[in-house]
Amino acid sequence: MNTSAAISEQRDFAVNSGSLKDVRSFSRQVFEKVNIDQDLKDELVLAIAEAAQNIVKHAYKGEETDDKMEIKISLKNGELEIGFFDKGRPVDQGNVRHRKIDDIKPGGLGTFFIQQIMDAVVFKEGEKPWINHLILTKKINY
Amino acid sequence: MSYKVTEEGNISIVHLDGEIDMDVTEKAKEIIMPLIEAKKEVHLNLKEVQYMDSSGISVLIESHQKASELGTKVILKDISKSVLKVIMMAKLEQILNLG
Repeated sequence: MNTSAAISEQRDFAVNSGSLKDVRSFSRQVFEKVNIDQDLKDELVLAIAEAAQNIVKHAYKGEETDDKMEIKISLKNGELEIGFFDKGRPVDQGNVRHRKIDDIKPGGLGTFFIQQIMDAVVFKEGEKPWINHLILTKKINY
Repeated sequence: MSYKVTEEGNISIVHLDGEIDMDVTEKAKEIIMPLIEAKKEVHLNLKEVQYMDSSGISVLIESHQKASELGTKVILKDISKSVLKVIMMAKLEQILNLG
């Protein structure tokens, strides 16, 4: 296994809950090429799937669409960057927050998980044709 | 996700299998909630659940809260390592009944 190689892989997915398993499968395939421990791989797959789920639930409000979302996973010099691109409703970063973790109720945990797992979460306006561009980053020792 | 339900007296044991994400949460609720509404004690066996996301955790919270309201309980049994990790990440290990 080449542990120092740069990785850059991207794929389009349908924007619906049924594609989340494909998102996980793609993420697992990419991380198979990286020499990091399985627990960290599992956490990264969870963060990616939660971000994709947020696109389905919030950017598209669960509505049916023919749009695709794109996920790009890049790893270079120990910096993992995961980009999410969608054409849904513009995300107002000020409205993206997880619920208080001691306020026990269903929902609101996905963003908390992402923030727990990743070093940084940044929303940008997408460059055409995209509307939203979410960037998750994390330093990886591999 | 697949499932099997067995009964032992007033206890319903639900064996869940596979990955529990947003795509299957409605199905999971359709299996679990009627048992709680029938005032059964529900044991969720999570040994064969290899993956659970925040949507799955929401089902666990909702089930726990519904059971508490109705005077019964949901107990999580044989929790797989990956599910336990997510429960702990959500800081729910002291809230949910881990059996």
